[in-house]
Amino acid sequence: MIPSAITDTVFVVDDDASFLKSASRLLRAAGYTVKAFESASAFLGQLTTETSGCVVTDLQMSGCNGLELQAALARSDNPLPVVFLSAQGDIPTTVKAMRQGAEDFLTKLSPKEKLLEAVNRALARNALERTQREQLRDLRERFATLSPRELEVLSHVVRGKMNKEIAGELGINLRTVKLHRTNLTRRLQVHSVAELTRLVEAVGLFKAERTT
Amino acid sequence: MLRSLNYSPNRFLRSSWRARMIFLVILALTISGLRTAMTQTVVKPEAARPKRILMLFSESKDVPGNIALEQAVRSEMRKLSPNRLEFFSEHLDASHFSDQAHYQFFKDYLGKKYAGQNLDLIMAFPSRDYTLAGALPDALFPDVPVVFIAVNELEVPYNISKLGVTGIVQRFDIRGTLGLMLHLQPDTHRVVVIGGTTEVDRATLGRIHEEASALEGVEFDFWTNRPVAEMPAAVGALPPGTVVLLSTVLRDVTGQTYFMSQLAQMLAPPAHVPVFVMGGWVLGSGAVGGSVVDSEDLGARGGQLAWRVLGGIKPENLPIEMATKGTPMVDWQALKRWHISERRLPADCIVRFRPVTMWEEHRKIILSSLAVFLAQAVTIAGLLAQRKHRRRAEAEISRQRTELAHVSRVSTMGQLASALAHELSQPLGAILRNTEAAELFLKNDTPDLAEIRAILADIRKDDQRAGTVIDRMRSLLKRRELESNPVDLGELIEETVAVAWSDAAARRVTLTMQVSANLPLVLGDRVHLQQVLLNLILNGMDAVADGGQAERMVVIQAAAGTGENVEVAVSDTGTGIPADKLKSLFEPFFTTKPNGLGMGLAISRTLVEAHGGKIWAENNADRGATFKFTLPAAPRES
Repeated sequence: MIPSAITDTVFVVDDDASFLKSASRLLRAAGYTVKAFESASAFLGQLTTETSGCVVTDLQMSGCNGLELQAALARSDNPLPVVFLSAQGDIPTTVKAMRQGAEDFLTKLSPKEKLLEAVNRALARNALERTQREQLRDLRERFATLSPRELEVLSHVVRGKMNKEIAGELGINLRTVKLHRTNLTRRLQVHSVAELTRLVEAVGLFKAERTT
Repeated sequence: MLRSLNYSPNRFLRSSWRARMIFLVILALTISGLRTAMTQTVVKPEAARPKRILMLFSESKDVPGNIALEQAVRSEMRKLSPNRLEFFSEHLDASHFSDQAHYQFFKDYLGKKYAGQNLDLIMAFPSRDYTLAGALPDALFPDVPVVFIAVNELEVPYNISKLGVTGIVQRFDIRGTLGLMLHLQPDTHRVVVIGGTTEVDRATLGRIHEEASALEGVEFDFWTNRPVAEMPAAVGALPPGTVVLLSTVLRDVTGQTYFMSQLAQMLAPPAHVPVFVMGGWVLGSGAVGGSVVDSEDLGARGGQLAWRVLGGIKPENLPIEMATKGTPMVDWQALKRWHISERRLPADCIVRFRPVTMWEEHRKIILSSLAVFLAQAVTIAGLLAQRKHRRRAEAEISRQRTELAHVSRVSTMGQLASALAHELSQPLGAILRNTEAAELFLKNDTPDLAEIRAILADIRKDDQRAGTVIDRMRSLLKRRELESNPVDLGELIEETVAVAWSDAAARRVTLTMQVSANLPLVLGDRVHLQQVLLNLILNGMDAVADGGQAERMVVIQAAAGTGENVEVAVSDTGTGIPADKLKSLFEPFFTTKPNGLGMGLAISRTLVEAHGGKIWAENNADRGATFKFTLPAAPRES
């Protein structure tokens, strides 16, 4: 079952040359585009935001190990899903890897089917997250067009304030508040307060204010 | 060249014979020259002229009694004299030549022969008649002192001392002999006495008769009228309870003369009863023995007397010694023949001809050898016991060491289990992936055979790699004795670091190796040395991992040490070791780790010391500690 995103690349990272070669060979035979790296740093060095696919890596490697690779990816603009192929893993390491969002945690002796499934899932997730990330970016771009005053009004709107209350709190007249709200909905391409609230949440705006 | 090749064997023989003659002549000349030279060198240092002693025997020179006597006198005098003595012997042989003409001839002969010899002493051995041998010196050399030794009943002229004569008259010990006879043969009721017809014979018989009359219950039979030639048969027919006593038969009824030893040799062997004699020199003939005249003793006494006379004491001042006490002496062989127990013998009785046992002949040597053997045996036994003891102790130590090493290895293995599982799953994982890849390739209608071949080659490679890992693991786990082989420490360190590598990576510790080039080989056990290295590396990693240091480093160094050894140092960047713990570090069950057994360093020390090396720890100047150990370098192959 080859996923639609066939153009995606599986990045295999392992400091064991022999395993690196065999794993790459298998994935290639299974129809994937494969790029092999003998170290995490070599892989991270060529990573760009355009890169699409997933990472299959050993957990224990000399130099930068699997968890560090995962963390570095997570910090980057392009957090590709990671499938760990460990020689063996202790429980703390496994938990940590999963918490950091590992797609799967397999041993090197797991059967091909499991590996391929994991890779497929990772690629699918990458595709999904990629779409989400694009949408979010798009959304963020839309939010970015808002003026500071409009953002201020928005923050009150998503908290369910009435126009009159907003006008009172901001010390502006009601007409101005209404004008801002119209501009908001037009720029953010929303049609209801509920939709507006969902978008604000997705983008992660006003989190600090909300919790306080 | 050609001529020498052309020699004839004959010519060679002839010339060799001639050469041999010449050689012999030269040899003879040399020897005679040597002899003159030797006599000259011997004589020269002697300031005094050697004393000259003429020994004058009235009987022939092959009378056994006289031979023994002369020997004894000579050896006694030689023993006493620091200077050389010259002995001359002359024998009148009166028994064979009893006529007056012979006597005169002998006298003239002596007078002429010794006229210019300046004799210092004459020793006379008169046997039948003192005057025969005794009168000669008086007539011929009146100024020469005379010492005589006589064994018989001869009449000594009462005024003999006045003539410058002294001597010993040793009479037969008839009483002693009869006493010994009856003591050894208590059921004797008849004694056959064999005697002769001369005056001397009769005198001896007279004395025997005298002694016999004092004995009661024993019948004496005097055989004096039978020819000696008939006697062997007669003594062969004697009934038990009888014994034979040989007196002297200087002449028998047929006019035949006999010496005592001749007589004994004729009669003792055929005799049906024990034969007793009175002369010590007669023993060996088959006679049992008696209280005999001991030639050696008599000769020694005569020699001493002669020595005193030679020393200047006038003979007339030395009284003539009359001795009648004999020496109890028996023949061991005859005792056996007559079943006489040695226990019956008097304490002072001499037993002759006893086959000398090894024990008697070499008692001292045997005793001292035995003592030495015994001492040796005790020492050897002691040493063996000690060795056995030590062996057992050593075996025990060795066993414990093996056991401990095993325990330690197993516990180290626990720590390293994950690392080894990792090591093993690498090749196994690679094999699995390759196999799966090959299966996929084979699903194609036109499989890429080159790729599949490459896959198979890779599988084989990884399989071998897995095997190596398993071997290493097995050798680490095995309980084994110390082996000794040349070990390349650099290689061993590399291998050990490879084992510890993944563990170090997981614990974010940097392992660094610094092995100097041309490191000498060491003699040792690979596995045990690896054990030590692993212990130290894991300890170092524990030290840096626990402390939360920014820089987590363990450095393994190996270099040729001072002297013929190799020094290995494992340094860490940890917190170091408290100064008071530096020593106790290597004690068993010393540990600073919550889960530690406290055996790692103790075992490391045991193993290093078993290799003839040393191990110690020191704190680094900046931070952390360094564990060092030395191993003797293997002798270089020339």
